[in-house]
Amino acid sequence: MGVWYMPPFELVQPRDLDGALKHLADWATDTKILAGGTDLLPSMRQRLFEPRYLLAVGRLPELRGIAWEDDWVRIGAAETLNAVAEHPQLCQAFPALTEAAASVAAYNIRNMGTLGGNVCLDTRCHWYNQSYFWRKGIGFCLKKDGSVCHVAPGGRQCWAAYSGDTAAALVALEAQLRLVAPTGERLVPVREFFLNDGQRRFVLRPDEILTEVRIPQWMAGYQGRYFKYRIRQAVDYPLVGVAVLVRTSGPRVLDVRVGLTAVNPMPRYFDVPSEWLEDPPEAWVERVVEAVVRLARPLKTSLLVSPAYRQHLVRVFTRRGLRSLLALPTAA
Amino acid sequence: MEFQTIGKPTPYLGGEDPVTGRAVYTDDLRLPGLLVGRILRSPLPHARIVKVDVSKAQRVPGVVAVITGQDLATKYGILPVGQDETALAVDRVRYVGEGVAAVAAESVEAAEEALERIEVLYEPLPAYFDALEAMNAPPPWIHDDKPNNIEREYHHHFGDVERGFAEADYVREHSFFCPRLNHAAMEPHSAVASYDLQGRLTVWSSTQTPYYLHRTLSKVLGLPMNRIRVLKPYVGGGFGGKDEPLPHEIVAAKLAMVSGRPVKVTMTREEVFYLNRGRPDQYIWLKIGVRRDGRITAVECKVVQDGGAYCSYGIVTILYAGQLLAAIYDIPNIKYDGYRVLTNKPPCGAQRGHGSVNTRFAFESLLDMIAEDLGLDPVTIRARNFLRPNTRTVNDLRVTSYGLPECIRRVVEASGFFEKWRKLPYGRGIGLGCSHYVSGAGRAIIRSEMPHSNVVVKVDVDGGIGLYTGTAEIGQGCDTVQAMIVAEVLGVNLRRVRVVAGDSDLTPLDLGSYSSRVTFMAGNAALQAARQIRDRLADVVSRALSVPADRLEFRDERVFDRENPDRGVSFDEAVYMALQESGGTLVGKGAYSPPPEAQGGTYKGAGVGPSPAYSYSASVAEVSVDVETGEVRVERVWTAHDCGRALNPLAVEGQIEGSVSMGLGQALTEQVVMKDGRILNAGLLEYKTPGLLDHPVIESIIVESIDPEGPFGAKEAGEGSLAGVIPAIANAVYDAVGVRIDRLPITPERVLEALRKKTRTAGRPAEKPEAVVSASADA
Ligand SMILES: Cc1cc2nc3c(=O)[nH]c(=O)nc-3n(C[C@H](O)[C@H](O)[C@H](O)COP(=O)(O)OP(=O)(O)OC[C@H]3O[C@@H](n4cnc5c(N)ncnc54)[C@H](O)[C@@H]3O)c2cc1C
Ligand code: SF4
Repeated sequence: MGVWYMPPFELVQPRDLDGALKHLADWATDTKILAGGTDLLPSMRQRLFEPRYLLAVGRLPELRGIAWEDDWVRIGAAETLNAVAEHPQLCQAFPALTEAAASVAAYNIRNMGTLGGNVCLDTRCHWYNQSYFWRKGIGFCLKKDGSVCHVAPGGRQCWAAYSGDTAAALVALEAQLRLVAPTGERLVPVREFFLNDGQRRFVLRPDEILTEVRIPQWMAGYQGRYFKYRIRQAVDYPLVGVAVLVRTSGPRVLDVRVGLTAVNPMPRYFDVPSEWLEDPPEAWVERVVEAVVRLARPLKTSLLVSPAYRQHLVRVFTRRGLRSLLALPTAA
Repeated sequence: MEFQTIGKPTPYLGGEDPVTGRAVYTDDLRLPGLLVGRILRSPLPHARIVKVDVSKAQRVPGVVAVITGQDLATKYGILPVGQDETALAVDRVRYVGEGVAAVAAESVEAAEEALERIEVLYEPLPAYFDALEAMNAPPPWIHDDKPNNIEREYHHHFGDVERGFAEADYVREHSFFCPRLNHAAMEPHSAVASYDLQGRLTVWSSTQTPYYLHRTLSKVLGLPMNRIRVLKPYVGGGFGGKDEPLPHEIVAAKLAMVSGRPVKVTMTREEVFYLNRGRPDQYIWLKIGVRRDGRITAVECKVVQDGGAYCSYGIVTILYAGQLLAAIYDIPNIKYDGYRVLTNKPPCGAQRGHGSVNTRFAFESLLDMIAEDLGLDPVTIRARNFLRPNTRTVNDLRVTSYGLPECIRRVVEASGFFEKWRKLPYGRGIGLGCSHYVSGAGRAIIRSEMPHSNVVVKVDVDGGIGLYTGTAEIGQGCDTVQAMIVAEVLGVNLRRVRVVAGDSDLTPLDLGSYSSRVTFMAGNAALQAARQIRDRLADVVSRALSVPADRLEFRDERVFDRENPDRGVSFDEAVYMALQESGGTLVGKGAYSPPPEAQGGTYKGAGVGPSPAYSYSASVAEVSVDVETGEVRVERVWTAHDCGRALNPLAVEGQIEGSVSMGLGQALTEQVVMKDGRILNAGLLEYKTPGLLDHPVIESIIVESIDPEGPFGAKEAGEGSLAGVIPAIANAVYDAVGVRIDRLPITPERVLEALRKKTRTAGRPAEKPEAVVSASADA
């Protein structure tokens, strides 16, 4: 019970991105990319993954660095969450992102965990994040080794919740991801990266490496906040995550966006239509709240809190975020 | 009397080792030829074992030994009346995770592969996962000799509750529920065993009770105790999870005997949750009658505990739940109906505050509810019911020292209770909870007349003081406190004392680290042993200096004439002088048995509850409740604990903080969640023990009532505070937002739900201006 050793694997440690791509050219489907390992390694112990190779990308120079370049702010995918969370200019420019990064897990995990790994985080479900013994005893589910979903038994879809914190901010910030494969590279908007399917999760191909996350510099003009519900402040995955971004000019509200994580198989977002903003905020804040709440479809993937409660928190957090950034009085 | 060592905050002897990673725990042990032992566990909650075929497992390369239940068929259990377990299931499994077979192999991979290849044919039986359901289930019972799946029931009636309730001006009753918990000690259980060519078995185990393990190994393996040696290396916390012989220890020993090689069996965290022995699911129904002034006239309580598949400590747990309704307040009439029920879940056992915690949560909550109905404050209603020191309770518990009034006074003062209670803004609140606990059990659970603790102190030519004790240091500081007692008596530096502990070849009998007994009992034994050494030295020095022995003072590493301090010898000289005499090596020997008056009454079940002394504690918690999310944050806790005398105040504070921490977890976040006998959160990510950022500021206040029988007046400090913390938090939540949460843990959803119900019924008049919604946490 709870097999306590790692499944066997071979660690591949290329010196640079080229080396990594060479390995992928031959072995992509037998390989899992290893960054900080804080998500992947515990899952391997649970036998959720048994790859032949682990390709270490954490030290690749091409995946490091935080820089302002042209119209973009470029963050290397292997930068640690603490490096992101404690970067003074990032904190200034994209507070929702740095707050989200700072809220991940615990300090020591953030020293290992990377931004890229956080974006590519596996989806979570209490029927899935369990030991082999446990899953076997209860009957494997469709996300791994089985054919039924215990959460939504009739269907053929996995509803495991995408639970990365930073994605809530990144979808609102319209960030892009650079994905590099042996055959070439592509830039994918974060908004198009994820799939609403807990099993397939995103469009990343097995031979692709996420090398950088880039954020348009003009997003630095937004105020932002990230709200997270977790049971323990000391260490816990989000059960709800809401990023709120607001751009104002004097009394005028120019733009409002909300990013949402941990309540669906993918992160979601809502951009407030610009016509709404012509009215004073009190006229549309609740409409925004309801629009965001409609995006949230939490199912019984979390053990200790109900879907209804998570839905409720989406409402509370969105409202709080909007009201605090718009300097409206706290709702009664 | 001015102490030299006692009462000084003293870091643990050898405390540098665990904090620098140098401490050697059981799993760190490496022996030549060491094999890995692993246990095959049942995937079914209740089934007959039709066949176990290990032939394929035996053929896995690297496998050295395979055993099944048939190899260890002798039943055992921690209680003489609960000998119902076998180390591996023999013909029936009764819970998911119960061991069925075990292997020893050259590598963990080979061991795991062998487990995969063991073929077990099960015939499923109906299984029960709730106590109330199990009590009403038809046969087959989980144990054939336990009809209706009731392990044991008690119906106690002390005084006359009918009369008591008739005399009451006000009676209120309420139901409460507390879920199954696990201790979640940092170190998972581990055992290493080695069987030598002389036919002697050595077992190292991360245990709180080496002696009980020793006895059980002897019984199950059929070896005389004198051919078994039990050692306890460093232990990374126990909290009750390691205070009885457990299957993996016996399995390790048997595998070592069969294979002829040393074997280690270390639990994964998941296995720890199935090994369990934590607090049971518990239904509590409680009724209290009071006079108008708050004076309690009668208490009636019914408890149903879901103890899981085996007895373990269950009979003691169900008794403590009732017996410790007494000995904290003066209650003239008590009726108690307790049911310990068997279900197809991992066995429950003892956990910090054993048995007393859940009923205390109920009692202290209901007391506050009654106080409010009567227009009394929480302090007054408790004060109306104080005991007096040196009394005997209605259920025959002898109370000596009684520091509860002082504890309450101190926390009320430190917290500014009355400036805050009912006066804080909506969403913020303060609450009080009290508790007590035994300083060791008056009667040994093994029904033996032997002294409960024995200590030998030996002084030889190097002047070093050897302290030989069977106690189990598990991080609570008991090595240090015994050394402090000896150093105090002999007037020497603490560093002179070397503690040799937890090795059955070298150290005398001690019952172990449970029921908060060690400081009181082994402390008394150490005191007695040290005094014998001192008497012998005093005798020698008195003759040499011609000073009457009773005028000699032992202090600052010298023995001298109190009236003429220059006249004296160094401690080393004194030792040397004594060694010249015909007696040779100095040996002092102490033993402790609780006095007969502290062994309780004669009724059935009277053996559980009595103690030579009770600790007392009061906690005040201040909380904030986010009324939109339902989240409760405990901002600050003040806990006062009457430990008789704080021999080592640093350790006492540590114990208070640890108790607050565990109380916090039980109050707000911890619960083992199960479905069909499977644990859904058998790991530390989903079993929510609070982390550092979840903790309040804790103010520990030490109260010293100087117990007449404790060593230098000391009583227990390790458990008693915990139980008061939980109702303090629940009462604070009520003060904050006016909802009473009677089901643990106090989750945000429960708070929200209660708030919604409250607004729907718009029930009681608001005590507070509820319109002043507290600025939300983020503002
Ligand atoms: C106790 C605990 C608590 C946690 N709490 C949180 C939390 O609150 N919020 C949260 O968001 N996460 C949490 N995590 C998960 C994890 O720590 C973080 O998400 C972290 O950012 C993952 O980064 P990593 O570098 O360690 O990823 P890894 O574990 O190395 O990888 C994660 C996944 O991403 C893939 N991957 C990584 N890098 C790349 C790349 N460059 N290109 C392509 N694929 C890649 C890997 O193949 C793997 O599938 C927690 C983990 C633990 C153990
Ligand atoms: S949502 Fe369904 S398929 Fe997906 S992990 Fe959970 S149980 Fe498995």
